[in-house]
Amino acid sequence: MSLVLISHSRMLVDGLAEMVAQIAGDEVYVATAGGTEDGRLGTSAPRIEVALREALASGSDGTLVLLDLGSAALSLELALEALDPAERARVRVSEAPLVEGAVLATVQASVGASLDDVASAAAGAATLAKLPRD
Amino acid sequence: MTDVPEIRLVVIDPSGLHARPAARFVQAASRFDCRIAIRHDGREADAKSLIAILGLTLRPSSEISLVADGPDADAALAALRTELTPYVGSPS
Repeated sequence: MSLVLISHSRMLVDGLAEMVAQIAGDEVYVATAGGTEDGRLGTSAPRIEVALREALASGSDGTLVLLDLGSAALSLELALEALDPAERARVRVSEAPLVEGAVLATVQASVGASLDDVASAAAGAATLAKLPRD
Repeated sequence: MTDVPEIRLVVIDPSGLHARPAARFVQAASRFDCRIAIRHDGREADAKSLIAILGLTLRPSSEISLVADGPDADAALAALRTELTPYVGSPS
């Protein structure tokens, strides 16, 4: 199990990768694609494709992709089209909020959960309570 | 679960049971085969699921109990009690 984190901002995904490594440990491979090729805010299909290939090559049986807003999805679709079908079959795209989803997914991946279970943990991030219910 | 080992604890860490210790707890719990749950305020969370535990929103003074059911239940509770040591105390 590996993760790919996609954002318009390189700093955002670098910081998130640091955070998940500290929370979940460094056993789970996390690839990032933040910003454009020339360092601006935005998303880049080629950079996402590189991150997907790194994650798939890390020896994992599958990879979960988490992304932020808007054009990230379009760039991801282009990057996925560049993969062959066997590679694409090992990629799952999550609808989860990026930060919470990444933390939950990495922790479950670190205990050896399957891609299905990791994807399901990330999906739960959308409804995760942050404040106590009074 | 009836007649299964249970330990009662209270959260003492000023930040509650926050993400990092909760993640360590899930990783420790996942090393055991038995079913392990955290109970708090009438709710129960699977100890092997971070989202379930974070969903309990455990805060300082939150009373919790750990219950385990399975062949290695006693060992699991002992290990998890140790894992939580800096963050919990005994209920008054």
